[in-house]
Amino acid sequence: MSLWRLEWLRLVRTRRLAALVGVYVFFGLLGPLTARYMGDILSRFGGNITVIVPDPVPADGIATFAGDAQQIGLLVAVVVAAGALTIDALPEMSIFLRSRTRSAGRLLRPRLVVSMLAAAGAFLVGLAAAWYETAVLLGGVPVGPLLAGAGFGILYLGFAVTVVAAVAARSRSVVVSAAITLLFLLVLAIPEIVPAVGIWLPSHLVGALDDLVRGGGITDYLRAAAVTVVAAAGLLAVAVKVQARREV
Amino acid sequence: MIRTRGLVKRYGPIAALDGVDLDVPPGIVYGLIGPNGAGKTTLLSLLAGLRRPTAGDIVIDRGARAVLPDTPRFDPWLTAAEVVSLAARLAGPGAREDLNAVLAEAGLAEAARRRVGGFSRGMLQRLGLAATVVGRPEILLLDEPAAALDPGGRREVLDLIRRLRGRATVVFSSHILADVQEVSDWVGILDQGRLRFQGPVDELLVARSRPTYRVRVHSGRDGVAAGLRQTSWVENVEVLDDQTLRVRVNSSEDAERGLMGVLDRSGARVAAVEPEALDLEDIFLEATR
Repeated sequence: MSLWRLEWLRLVRTRRLAALVGVYVFFGLLGPLTARYMGDILSRFGGNITVIVPDPVPADGIATFAGDAQQIGLLVAVVVAAGALTIDALPEMSIFLRSRTRSAGRLLRPRLVVSMLAAAGAFLVGLAAAWYETAVLLGGVPVGPLLAGAGFGILYLGFAVTVVAAVAARSRSVVVSAAITLLFLLVLAIPEIVPAVGIWLPSHLVGALDDLVRGGGITDYLRAAAVTVVAAAGLLAVAVKVQARREV
Repeated sequence: MIRTRGLVKRYGPIAALDGVDLDVPPGIVYGLIGPNGAGKTTLLSLLAGLRRPTAGDIVIDRGARAVLPDTPRFDPWLTAAEVVSLAARLAGPGAREDLNAVLAEAGLAEAARRRVGGFSRGMLQRLGLAATVVGRPEILLLDEPAAALDPGGRREVLDLIRRLRGRATVVFSSHILADVQEVSDWVGILDQGRLRFQGPVDELLVARSRPTYRVRVHSGRDGVAAGLRQTSWVENVEVLDDQTLRVRVNSSEDAERGLMGVLDRSGARVAAVEPEALDLEDIFLEATR
């Protein structure tokens, strides 16, 4: 039984993986459906008001999924990651691991990587569902931009998990770790209102999937991706250092 | 070997440990006793590397360390076998023990495949011990290892600690002084963050002992007490109940020569006179008074 298997069992036996995948798949199936029938839904509930909705295009199916995934999906991914990364939530449990693990990095690595992989995997499964249903209901979506958008989306999810790791290094509560992370991500997105600044921010990656499947250019996101990678590395270093110095 | 010099741990203005010089020779069982808040858990946490000292030095032999907190807890969705397997893996690549044997030794053979979420506190304590001894760590730090156990379980834990003697250096804290006296080679008495006494149990008992006798009478207790109090070699007479006195003397020789004479002169009906053995509890109470 390794620390890696421990994290896998945490995901499976606590049904966190099922919740994570379930949320992304739900929105993956709901997104294209909503995009396809939004006009019909609005006209049915519009009463005497005539609602004119442009005919949906395949990109709308993916965009609807992306919007939901980056909100509700991100929320669930952060909570799941906080559950794994808030090592000292129960001191008696953390004593067992900390007293037998000489380096904080060794303790943190499986929790971080498994949390990232779970979030990324759930996102990809949801996206696959959205892509398939979009193809059936609205038509095909170009695969290249879809994959590039998925890559940026996963990068942002990974960044969110590293924020959780840094916050959880000082927290003793899963709820507090998740809440502070979400608040941080929200505040970090505020400068997006200034486009010249926004293109450098990790939060810029949130809109990449939507934009790329509509014909946007990958180069618009490279700066934000580079900053995200550097920021994530910095957050990881902080998380390891703080965890190593932490007293139980 | 474990050694601390001038070990201080402060939490704000409060000194949980105040200049502790601990000496634990290799391979012994060291019992740490002290009242609540004496600093036992803090000391064990510092030795385990889970907390950092405010001042002072800690020197510990290289080798695997394992810690058992006073209320061990594990992820409730793991089975007992998985907890011990994880502990063995973390103990190092050399730890290739028969996990079933370790669980059996802790009395958990039948619960090996059960998830620990349904375990009682006593079972968690046993599981904690199994996870602590697996991989044969050189240093074991046990915080109240028998606290949650029934008498049978306590006996098993004490036997297990005794078996570790020579194989590992064990430091364990306990409120149950008889347990410490029974299995420890050395004892340390911690009070208000200070180490009041430290040394081999036998030496401590001999060095601190004052000859004491228990006198039981059918009648004439007060006369006996008055007669004894007027005797030069009697240090103290304590009335325990209607018929029993505890007499502390400063010389066994004088007591053996004169005690019977004092009782005879008092006219009391004497039922029994017996020497009383000093135990750790007496020393503990004296040290922490």
